[in-house]
Amino acid sequence: MIRFENITLKIQQQTLLDETSLHLKPGDKLVLRGPSGCGKSSLLKAAVGALPINSGRILFDGIELNAQNVADIRSRVSFIGQEPVLGAERVLEALMLPFRYKAHRSRTVTGKQIAELLERLRLSTDILDKPSARISGGEKQRIAIARALLLDKSIFIADEITSALDPESKEAVMAELFRPGITVLSVSHDPDWTEACTRRIKIENHRLVESGAEPQTTLNTAVPGEVS
Amino acid sequence: MIVDMDMISTLSMFALLLIPIGIFIYLQMGLVKETIISAVRMAVQLLLVGVYLKYIFRLNNGWVNLAWVLVMMIAANASILGKTGLKRRLFFWRTLAGIAASTFIVSGWFILVAIRPEPFYDARYMVPIIGMILGNCQRSNVMSLERFYSGIRKNEQEFMTYLMLGASLNEAVRPYLRTALKATVNPSISTMATMGIVSLPGMMTGQILGGALPMPAIKYQIGIMICIFTAMVIAAVVNILLSLPVAFDDHQRVKPEIFQ
Repeated sequence: MIRFENITLKIQQQTLLDETSLHLKPGDKLVLRGPSGCGKSSLLKAAVGALPINSGRILFDGIELNAQNVADIRSRVSFIGQEPVLGAERVLEALMLPFRYKAHRSRTVTGKQIAELLERLRLSTDILDKPSARISGGEKQRIAIARALLLDKSIFIADEITSALDPESKEAVMAELFRPGITVLSVSHDPDWTEACTRRIKIENHRLVESGAEPQTTLNTAVPGEVS
Repeated sequence: MIVDMDMISTLSMFALLLIPIGIFIYLQMGLVKETIISAVRMAVQLLLVGVYLKYIFRLNNGWVNLAWVLVMMIAANASILGKTGLKRRLFFWRTLAGIAASTFIVSGWFILVAIRPEPFYDARYMVPIIGMILGNCQRSNVMSLERFYSGIRKNEQEFMTYLMLGASLNEAVRPYLRTALKATVNPSISTMATMGIVSLPGMMTGQILGGALPMPAIKYQIGIMICIFTAMVIAAVVNILLSLPVAFDDHQRVKPEIFQ
């Protein structure tokens, strides 16, 4: 589904990842771990073309992420950051924002769908009329997740999305994202999230290492040094 | 006929500058040097233009007039880019195209459709009208580009969110284009609304001082105000749209190297 092939990622001359590989299969729930600044969030950003990689390739369903298909890939993937930006004055406007874009204009969403989804995420429909700037961090995170779910996306790239959630809301979010058909590539320090993930990858010495396994050089699959 | 000022009287006007300079010194604002340089530059440039315009008006050749207009545009363009914080080298031709498009469209309409002088390229109309449009659009051109790119730079996460939600580059930049355009045109909308009550505009005042009757002067002023406003909007939008291909990479990320 998503394949990082021998990627090198540097930020301001500092090497974060060095010729390392990773393969996510459909339905994988993967969490990246490691000390702060080791490149976890940067890898997530690189996956959606928000950060350039210095070498290597990123492939979605075997097709390399490039200038021609980056917009299409972004419209298939949902990226939710630690402090999500809603990008509209009111919450309802923020939820409907992507449906104004050409890529999603043909999709329709009903009030009933929104209400049901908000209920599943432990949010009241009253929130829809509130200004985006007035809602809490946890509510923002759930609205950003709801927006992605309304778009029916099956790949979620999530950077510490449970950091501002109470246990109940976290459980609700995890119930939505940890369904079988959804692929999750995430960064989290949350033990419950990490526990629920099917794969745990550590960044060690600029390389991606499957937790509990030997360094990736011994995990050869199709690509040398790939964690698969 | 206008009462001419001799050179000594003209120079005496500089005495007034002692007041702002005194205030700058008292408030330790450090603007004294810039003020003196700008005032001297303004005087020298205008005196040189005065000499040059005398010949341009006498010659009244369409190609010479056009060449002079192009010189004005290039100078305006260089000055705009210097103040936006963007690299001149990367944007020069694109913003020049934006300025030229806006200026030629509105001044063409004003001169060819409304005034209809004989010949149509008459320097007495072409040079001052285009000069006024360029001069008045300069501040707005700087502001629109600066606001647009600083808006995206300050809200990079928000901008990336739009892209992640499936927005094309044009869709993702639209909120920043709207903000930049609003900031650019709002002062002009206020100026137009109060014109004649709060301020007596320059072109009209100049014509009246030159001996024209108030009514023809007012008609010209109405024309030039609409030209300036329209040119401002066209230039702001065209400049921003033409700058997009050089300012963003092929993954729609803002290139850091575009900033000075």
